[in-house]
Amino acid sequence: MTGSPYRLATGGRRIDRAKSVGFSFDGKDMRGFAGDTLASAAMANGQKIFGRSFKYHRPRGIVGLGSEEMNALIGVGTGARHEPNLRATQIEIHDGLTAVSQNRWPSLTFDIGAINNKMSRFIPGGFYYKTFMWPQSFWKHVYEPFIRRAAGLGKAATERDPDSYEHMHVHADVMVVGGGIAGLAAAEAAAATGAKVLLCDENAQLGGIADLTAGKIGDGCIADAVPAMEARLRALANVHILARTTVVGHFHHNYLMAAERVADHDPALLAQGAPRQRLWKIRAGHVILATGAIERPIAFANNDRPGIMLASAVRAMVERYAVAPGNRGLVFTNNDDAYLTAFALHKAGVQVRVIDTRAAGGDLAARAKADGIEVTFGSSICATEGNLGVTAAKIAPYRSGMGRVVNETRVECDFIAMSGGWNPVLHLWAHNGGKIRFDEQLASYRPNTHGDAITAVGAANGTMTVSDTLSEATAAGEAAAKSVHPKAKSAKVKLPAVEEPKRAALEPIWFAPATGKYNEGNKHFIDFQNDVTAADLELAQREGYESVEHTKRYTTFGMATDQGKTSNINGLGVLAEATGKTIPEIGITTFRPPYTPFSLGSVAGALTKELFLPVRRTPIFRWHVDRGAAFEPVGQWRRAYTYPGAGEDKHAAINREILAVRNKVGLLDASTLGKIEIKGPDAAEFLDRMYTNMFSTLKVGRCRYGLMMNELGFLTDDGVTVRLGDDHFLMHTTSGGADRISAWLEEWLQTEWTQYKVFVTPVTEQWAQFAIAGPRARDVLAKLAPDFDLSNEAFPHMSFKTGKLGPYPVRVYRISFSGELSYEVATPANHGRGLWDEIMEAGAEFGIEPYGTEALHVLRAEKGYIVIGDETDGTTTPIDVGMDGMVSKKKADFIGKRSLEQSYLKGPNRKQLVGLLTEDPNEVLPDGAYAVRVVKDKPPMEMIGQVTSTYMSPTLGRSIAMALIENGRARMGETLSFPQEGGKVVKAKITETVFYDKDGGRMNG
Amino acid sequence: MGELKHESALAHVSEPANTSISLRELSDRGMIDLRGLASERKFLTAVKGVLGVDLPKQPRTSVAWGDIKILWLSVDQWLILCPRSRATALEAELRDALKSVHSLVVNVSDMRTVIRLEGEGCRETIMKGSSLDLIDSTYAPGCVRRMRFAEIAALLHVVEDTVIDVYVFRSYAQYTWDFLLKAARKGSEVRLFSGGS
Repeated sequence: MTGSPYRLATGGRRIDRAKSVGFSFDGKDMRGFAGDTLASAAMANGQKIFGRSFKYHRPRGIVGLGSEEMNALIGVGTGARHEPNLRATQIEIHDGLTAVSQNRWPSLTFDIGAINNKMSRFIPGGFYYKTFMWPQSFWKHVYEPFIRRAAGLGKAATERDPDSYEHMHVHADVMVVGGGIAGLAAAEAAAATGAKVLLCDENAQLGGIADLTAGKIGDGCIADAVPAMEARLRALANVHILARTTVVGHFHHNYLMAAERVADHDPALLAQGAPRQRLWKIRAGHVILATGAIERPIAFANNDRPGIMLASAVRAMVERYAVAPGNRGLVFTNNDDAYLTAFALHKAGVQVRVIDTRAAGGDLAARAKADGIEVTFGSSICATEGNLGVTAAKIAPYRSGMGRVVNETRVECDFIAMSGGWNPVLHLWAHNGGKIRFDEQLASYRPNTHGDAITAVGAANGTMTVSDTLSEATAAGEAAAKSVHPKAKSAKVKLPAVEEPKRAALEPIWFAPATGKYNEGNKHFIDFQNDVTAADLELAQREGYESVEHTKRYTTFGMATDQGKTSNINGLGVLAEATGKTIPEIGITTFRPPYTPFSLGSVAGALTKELFLPVRRTPIFRWHVDRGAAFEPVGQWRRAYTYPGAGEDKHAAINREILAVRNKVGLLDASTLGKIEIKGPDAAEFLDRMYTNMFSTLKVGRCRYGLMMNELGFLTDDGVTVRLGDDHFLMHTTSGGADRISAWLEEWLQTEWTQYKVFVTPVTEQWAQFAIAGPRARDVLAKLAPDFDLSNEAFPHMSFKTGKLGPYPVRVYRISFSGELSYEVATPANHGRGLWDEIMEAGAEFGIEPYGTEALHVLRAEKGYIVIGDETDGTTTPIDVGMDGMVSKKKADFIGKRSLEQSYLKGPNRKQLVGLLTEDPNEVLPDGAYAVRVVKDKPPMEMIGQVTSTYMSPTLGRSIAMALIENGRARMGETLSFPQEGGKVVKAKITETVFYDKDGGRMNG
Repeated sequence: MGELKHESALAHVSEPANTSISLRELSDRGMIDLRGLASERKFLTAVKGVLGVDLPKQPRTSVAWGDIKILWLSVDQWLILCPRSRATALEAELRDALKSVHSLVVNVSDMRTVIRLEGEGCRETIMKGSSLDLIDSTYAPGCVRRMRFAEIAALLHVVEDTVIDVYVFRSYAQYTWDFLLKAARKGSEVRLFSGGS
């Protein structure tokens, strides 16, 4: 076939030759078939190199079968849709797919960075630690940028991701991870009991490697059993199947996370509204791991040349995609399984020869010989040749434990299929603490014990035959369902008859000896993705990195994005041989999520852009927006900060708003204030305990400002509480404290003072609440047709009325946070906007202006009113802020009372709240500026306090500030120094905190 | 002064066109928060005298009687649903009946926004933002459950198999609406355990 020189004329179980698909790889247009992966389609087109290695920039080709692929990390998509570091073996091609290789410049075949390979003797294991140590200042600006450029993976897109993502929660009685025959059998048995079964598989098609497995189930081959098993499951309403879904993490209590690639294989789905990916959050009663096994490479000299693949991957190329990896190949094995690859190649007409390290083989080896395939026992590959792809291998006699090769034969070949045995996939087993044990027969680790309700079956459990897998998985599926529902019916699954070849034992080989000087052009790669060789691991041992966890970090072995899927056991084998220990004595590194990388987009899910943060809006929000308000976040609320007019900057707008309140009248949306109804025969006493000051003496119809401390004696909230009835109060809290304080009240009632008959119900959001503040406030209110008397006698400061303003039901509190005559009007939230509009209209003739939170803050600072969180920092007492008078001396007890008696809270040198006036009235102290005892040329200087609030006061025509200063009240009149950056020092005099209307005549009038 | 105006939190949104289920705000609902001790016979009798039905005492349940529904919120808290036009009067009746009984009655009709999800897949839509297993038989019609939904506090009331009301505090109405529009978007449907798929 033109353009596809490596596509076989027939075969290919997965591909649809009727559907041609066009895609590009590194700018080259290629064609493949529907069902191809990027790996198979590009290989069919003759592509051998898929990337350059991380450190040495060596050319690398496809090695693996699926998610274990370590070399062919590919960037897919362009512009904002570019996603780096995807495994070519998992990328399903579709029309228009754009793929690029990574970590090469300028191109795959000619890469400048490959000089690192020639220099490799100077960049051994631990190179980064040894070289980039000194001087420290070089790290950030020289070393790190250099390393990042030289040793890299793909680059992330720089634009905003245009696609959508989402999360989905699901609960299952039995969660089966892996849809190979083990997983399918387990799911069927579990489902037959009536249990809710969820099955996830990372591949597009179920079946795992059933199609690459020898034998028969019933009358057909193993793979033939899969469609029927799948169809039976899909017909059940208690089974849910997710394909293209990788379980990336398994956490405590059988909570699992899985990334579903919804539309990556078919971008047309995006236009129809599908999310690109979906992150599943799974809670399962019992987890069955049927995650299979991954074939391991063999560490022979230069085992990383393009064309050297895992035997299973070669088999898949031929049988699934009808792609020959070359014309003449070697199968290098220490076990029987790789013979299946030889058969597949032989059947496809590809010349193949088997090199087996063992002295003899089993039935399959005999069959190979009978088929006319050349098999050489007791031999190993000791070297390979070829720059951009393997061109020849050297074969030498081998026996286990041999150190050096003396005679070798050169064989020309253009690919090698290697198999060092199979490693059960233990990642998910180990993620949440499963123990594993070494199995000598497998020469690998397998599951041992687990604290969670979890069972491993099939190859994941080290069970390597089909018949054992089916019986084990079926039993486990039923047992799992019954462990969740003990009364579930029996599964009664009939196991099919299985025929499969008998296997001879494998013989572990951790290192194939080479000719020539060790590590001089002879690299035995263990971790391909991070370029870690056997020599690097041995060097780490010699340098004293005895713990395997230290070796891992020093050499970066197992730390790449593939999480050591293919390298782990081989590395441990090398370490064992280097130290004379057994593999279990070496220990094992920790398995950590994710199993394979998944996108940050799926982590964020739907919560991006306008959903990034839950935003709270008051009933007046849309009016503020229409009015052009600038907003500020207050907790999750968005409050109007100020309302700049056309051509007006924020600063001017704030000053205008402040002066409107001082001279005319202003309107503030204070709906965010926390509101809590408190009722019961013990309500008054309860409030006496919650606040520092007395509330039981408050008269019905009156309001009182209260201070709240925590048990430590530190201020935690403040606000005005009003008495609605004898046993009925309404507490106002700070906007940010509303939820916290209602929880705090409930906690005391439910856990400490259970004898109190008090109910507490938060009602913050029931009310829209506005402050009408300023000398004309009463005039505005009068125009709104109140059905109550507004006179100062009938409605004095710190009292409230319930009634109506025209048709609007209201509560009006005469309270002030600005120091002006002020009424806070509350109406049910749905009436809020209507009443707001009426107030603005009624106030027009008095010059009413809406004011925002910044004006509010300046107004209160002019009056010396504190804000919890500004003047207090969690270690500030009422005494520190000069509110000694509000701490009751009469009450028997209240929260924090005892703490105030502690020596360090009563002792000298506490920071106390004072006012500050700068020497230069136009100089505004920076927020948080430090006062120092003595000014020095440079820090450190002894700090004696800090600015807590600082503003330019348009009312006073000068700057004002408040600060917490050591022994502040004893320093009245003293001038303090506030050093700034650049040597400047701002000087300010300590004053009282009240800057304006000290006798309160304005708000009481 | 003009007429009394009423504007619910989602009064400005239009009917969604591109969702796989129906979404709408229920703005004509009155809500009264009732607190009292289920152990006090006087309390229970007085409430029944006004509402005509016993308060539900089983966790996560609700009862319906005429135009009233009562949702269990906790061992000593209930949310009484009634037509909005009736809420003020009902609040007064309850307060009057409970004058001498330890209790708290407060009209919170404007405190929450109610969004009704209707149609096949409404449960899965909520499961995009909540860890509750809404396809479990526990969540039968009548079931009431407080939940964490899309990172905020919400209350869920299963009205019918394919009708669910979600209650959120009023200030989160727009956020919740936006989340639901996205979660229920056509093309993003998920149907769990639907068999034969």
